[in-house]
Amino acid sequence: MTEAIQKTVQPIGVATAALETKRLSAWFGDLHVVKDISLTVEKNDVFSLIGPSGCGKSTFIRCLNRLHEETDGARVRGEVLIPGAGKRENIYAQGVDPVSIRRRVGMVFQKPNPFPGLSIFDNVAAGLKLAGVVRRNVLEEIVEISLVQAALWDEVKDKLKKPGTSLSGGQQQRLCIARALAVRPQVLLMDEPTSALDPISTARIEELVMKLRSDVTVLIVTHNMQQAARISNQTAFFLMGELVEVGPTKSIFTKPKDSRTEQYITGRFG
Amino acid sequence: MIELSSRDGVRKFSNYFWLAMLCLLAFTAIAPLFFIFAYLLVRGWAGLSFAFFTEIPKPVGEVGGGMANAITGSLVLMGLSTVFGVPLGLACGMALSELKKSAIAKMLRISIDLLTSVPSIVIGLFAYALVVVPMRGYSAWAGGFALSIVMVPIVARSTEEILKLVPASIHEAGLALGLPRWKVLIRLILPGVRAGVTTGILLALARVSGETAPLLFTAFSNSFGYRGLSAPTASLPVQIYTYATSHDETWRQLAWTGALVLVFVVFCLNLVTRILTRRTV
Amino acid sequence: MSNPVPAHQVLARRNLGDRIFFLALRAVSIGTIALFIGMLIFIGKLAWTSVEAQGFRFWVGDDWNPPMDIFGAAPFIVGTLASSLIAVLISAPISVGTALFLREIAPRKLANVVAFLVELLAAIPSVVYGLWGVFVLAPIMRDTIQPFLAKWLGPDTYFAAALGHGMTAVAYPFLLVADTLGLTEVTLVSLSANMMAVSQGLFDGPPLGLGLLTSGLVLSIMITPTVTALSREVLLTVPDTVREAALGLGATRWEMIKLALMKTARAGLVGSIILGLGRAIGETMAVTMVIGNRNEIPKSLFEPAQTMASVIANEYNEADGMHLSSLAFVGLSLFAVSLIINFLARTLIRYLNRGSRA
Repeated sequence: MTEAIQKTVQPIGVATAALETKRLSAWFGDLHVVKDISLTVEKNDVFSLIGPSGCGKSTFIRCLNRLHEETDGARVRGEVLIPGAGKRENIYAQGVDPVSIRRRVGMVFQKPNPFPGLSIFDNVAAGLKLAGVVRRNVLEEIVEISLVQAALWDEVKDKLKKPGTSLSGGQQQRLCIARALAVRPQVLLMDEPTSALDPISTARIEELVMKLRSDVTVLIVTHNMQQAARISNQTAFFLMGELVEVGPTKSIFTKPKDSRTEQYITGRFG
Repeated sequence: MIELSSRDGVRKFSNYFWLAMLCLLAFTAIAPLFFIFAYLLVRGWAGLSFAFFTEIPKPVGEVGGGMANAITGSLVLMGLSTVFGVPLGLACGMALSELKKSAIAKMLRISIDLLTSVPSIVIGLFAYALVVVPMRGYSAWAGGFALSIVMVPIVARSTEEILKLVPASIHEAGLALGLPRWKVLIRLILPGVRAGVTTGILLALARVSGETAPLLFTAFSNSFGYRGLSAPTASLPVQIYTYATSHDETWRQLAWTGALVLVFVVFCLNLVTRILTRRTV
Repeated sequence: MSNPVPAHQVLARRNLGDRIFFLALRAVSIGTIALFIGMLIFIGKLAWTSVEAQGFRFWVGDDWNPPMDIFGAAPFIVGTLASSLIAVLISAPISVGTALFLREIAPRKLANVVAFLVELLAAIPSVVYGLWGVFVLAPIMRDTIQPFLAKWLGPDTYFAAALGHGMTAVAYPFLLVADTLGLTEVTLVSLSANMMAVSQGLFDGPPLGLGLLTSGLVLSIMITPTVTALSREVLLTVPDTVREAALGLGATRWEMIKLALMKTARAGLVGSIILGLGRAIGETMAVTMVIGNRNEIPKSLFEPAQTMASVIANEYNEADGMHLSSLAFVGLSLFAVSLIINFLARTLIRYLNRGSRA
């Protein structure tokens, strides 16, 4: 099994990798929830992570922007490499500021979480303002671009001053995507972004993710296998904190190499 | 990608600066506790003696004496307020949790909320109008009544809170046994939350043991000791107030020692409630 | 049954014991509600002679002279507002800061200890604060703090001048509006002179130790536990997902606190500060002991003053007739003010809770 992974991971050119993990492990207290994961995500991939609930896939992506360590008793070991100024840097190297990493690796969460105190406009502009963008016209421009990218502009352009929480659940989630996109991240992490949404909103977000591909590398956690099959070109299957199999989505779903992957995608457990 | 590294330094600095400020503010919040406590210990300890608990105060100018009158008075007043306040508070708490969303429960909840916020001196005025005026004199009755009004909302709220935590399934289990609702509540539920209810009562007692304002013109004071429930009655807090504002050095010493004893009692009551809640939660 | 009946009524019909039990609960409820309303009525009755004789003039009259049967409560209203405002100004940043410290900085064990200590502060009786205020704080105020403040903020300092100009600038637009409406004839010069007089007088006078500033300081210590506990509860209603959203955007911890916590919870934080104000306004014993008890409108923060609560505590036992009734009138006004403030604050907090749940 390990060999299989090695084969799929190794030959890929380093130059185009948008993100690579090396022996990444994570714990909650004594609980080892992510075990020694090494994988590579290419630039402009839509990379889905599937697996039964509790398999560590959410924790895994929360390690990729150093959000996992914000939880009490959480620990991380290993390396995560992303392209930096001219070379790749390990986000867990000493002296790296998690705050600057999180601006380069954006995140969309399971439940839509717009800032309750802020308007639609200010929600999208929040990250920019933090980064020091103050000029109104620049803000307006980027907010509009981001909302267009998130396929929300037409619905909200006339009510940018309304509170972000006044939108519907699906709109709120797209608002959160726009908010994450506004700071132009290299990688966008999505933690089951449609699990709290209705089928129509889900379809819109899936459509959106496929379009985003040209601008940003997307890692998406989902426990909906159809979703993974529809929108991603690479898929990784997690089980009990371990990476079982990774490869092009098509081959994972049509001819999985590992019997556990096969059992999972044919619905025998999970 | 937005890179503004020169600003990052400022952000980092302001982050550490404000986080340090928050630590400082938290320290400022608790510093007075030590400041007050140190003085209480030093000044109060000096006057602590057997006589403090057994003797009544001597007239101005004479050395010695104690606060026995105030201590017994306080005990009487707290006993009286418990007798009135606890049953009423418990009943209100049960009414709040049992009558749930009826109009009467809503009004009761508002009344109790507002009762919590009534300044204690105003409660004193009420007890004066309701008890002192018809009885034509200050009395332990009036003081106990005033204190019980302070107790009711505290006991009621804590009883309601604790009853709310009891899962509906326990109610249903009792009802399924064919027990009437009142029996389920009194026999099954209340014994289970005894510790929680006791906590509320002790907190209320801790609160009224230090109340001064409602007693000033209800129980008033005396310097001889207990003379019956219809007579003016001394209490530790009122005595501390009177002696602290006097110009007699012996009396001032008594005030400090009285304050030390009072704070000790209040802290013990709080500590007990804390131990009780830890055991139940 | 055709029309729906609340569950407890259905049950009550079934069993005699239950019927009696619920009847008793209702009786107790009505009794308690009546007790609360009775409070207004009885204090109103005590105050009635004074209410009838003086009406609204009572609140604006600045002379309180029992021997002459002249009763104006303005000095107490001003004293109450001033001391409570000082308390809130000092306590609000400390309390909200402590609540944020407990939520965001302190490890759980430390947070428990600090929260416990703050609770203990709440348990200290008012009269003990007063005792400490008179014998410990007042001398420090007199000998150290007040001379220091007088030197830097007192008359003829840059602070006083700047404050005077600032207040003039704030008040000027209102003056202009009033002028155009023909309501007043105050000129900018006289406005400026008045404001300057106020700002110059703020830290003026002999440092007595007892007075407005000292009582404000004692009050601030007393309301800090209340405001801290309430703010802490309010901050807990902000969901973790919102905090993570801010961190995920690359906010530093402090930026996250501003963006996610304070913005989201601001209505509730304001509510808890207002509840603190309510407590300060009704606080009696400690204030009575340190405010200096002088029935005049104070011009300086160093001057002794009197609050609505403290004048009742001071004079009630020796009062009779119109004097007694007027003190009850003060009590009635205090009652009304604290009810309004608490109602306001609770509405704000409830509004916040509804918002965060939606």
